[in-house]
Amino acid sequence: MPLGADRYASRADTLLFLGCVGLSVAAMSLPDTWRDPIAQGLRQTVLAPFLALQQQTELLSAARAHYDAVVAQRDSAALAATFLPELRSENVRLRSLMGLGTRLGWGYVPAEVLHQPEPTNPLAFIISAGRQRGVRPLSAVVSAEGLVGIVSTVDAQTSVVLTWAHPEFRASAIAGDGSVSGIVAPHGAAGPGVWLLELQGVPYRQQVPDGTVILTSGLGGVFPRGIPIGTVVGLAGEAKGWERTYLIRPAIHPSALSHVMVLTGTRGSGTDIRGTFQADSVRP
Amino acid sequence: MRKTDRYRYVLVLVGLVVLHFTVRERLGGDRIAPDFLLLALLIYTIRAQPGRSAAAGFVIGLLRDALTPASFGAGALAHTLVGYLSSWAKAVFFAENVFVNGCLFFAGTWVRNLIVLVASGRLAGAQLGWELLVWSPLQSLTTAVVGIVALWLFGRWLTVRRAEA
Repeated sequence: MPLGADRYASRADTLLFLGCVGLSVAAMSLPDTWRDPIAQGLRQTVLAPFLALQQQTELLSAARAHYDAVVAQRDSAALAATFLPELRSENVRLRSLMGLGTRLGWGYVPAEVLHQPEPTNPLAFIISAGRQRGVRPLSAVVSAEGLVGIVSTVDAQTSVVLTWAHPEFRASAIAGDGSVSGIVAPHGAAGPGVWLLELQGVPYRQQVPDGTVILTSGLGGVFPRGIPIGTVVGLAGEAKGWERTYLIRPAIHPSALSHVMVLTGTRGSGTDIRGTFQADSVRP
Repeated sequence: MRKTDRYRYVLVLVGLVVLHFTVRERLGGDRIAPDFLLLALLIYTIRAQPGRSAAAGFVIGLLRDALTPASFGAGALAHTLVGYLSSWAKAVFFAENVFVNGCLFFAGTWVRNLIVLVASGRLAGAQLGWELLVWSPLQSLTTAVVGIVALWLFGRWLTVRRAEA
């Protein structure tokens, strides 16, 4: 039964509503230097138990998946144990399936992605590793396929990751053969090229063929050299006689991630880690 | 309203919050999985007065903004507006009917996403169109379905009795 409107037109309701709207607008207007501590405080207090709950659920889910995989591997091993050569080949296969963590060897922290159902989630998300596990601001975040983003804010238990789709993301990049260098940035929100990256600042005289693999260059010291970013899929534009911009299909979409690795170790400036990523992670 | 109903009502809301942080990710991608937190707010607005609904929306929105820093403040604004409008519209226009409540859940989710996207200004053009015309309706639909199921299961505990609320 509809209820009378007169009960809901009280001045107190209106004032409370306008107050909340005002506070919301004020929150939107806050500079990053104020906004980050507030968000960090909320995550470390009110939201901490809920994030811990979400993290435990993720671990439980991963444990279930691992259990199935372990059972399958055990069955395979039991079958293969009947024949030693087959067992050896099985070992080789399992070794080849071992993940990025083994290839990296050291200086990384695995973390679960705590997705939120907001439309802007692919631009920035929370991961379940923070200061206590050695994560620091500006650490590179990768998956087995390639570059995911960069850590922007670090709490005790969690961190905020700005993905490559965030408008403020930039990375110094080179072609796989080292022939071309430039700056990688999100392509923008309009047109058919959404969720793509672009390689900016390529000298006009240099042409980059489609299918060229683009890697981080290591310049600037934020990202180690050799992390796959994506593959060139076409020309995005050119400033006449000056420079060209190329479209890049990213190696991985942020929404498709459930786990990531945060690179925490200090690698030498000349260290190239491209060999640690899957050979076909950025398939042309 | 019986005293036990009040506790059950709170239990349902707490249950939705727990579901949000536990099972939601098992129910599809981020863009289409039901939003239990928003659903809890919308169910709260069925009984609460608009001012309290706006305040609850602001608190929930601000907490969510802490989890999605790309749009800080936009969530608070969106949830405040949705909370207030839902409570107000529910009192003025809507009859007590499960289907009508489902429509309210659908519209509330879609409008929340619209306000977040517009207020944050992060997406534009085709990307905005896809979010508003494809992903948001899907998320609104799943949220509405879960809301209808919740009302069907716990309807007696969530009955609108404003004079006693």
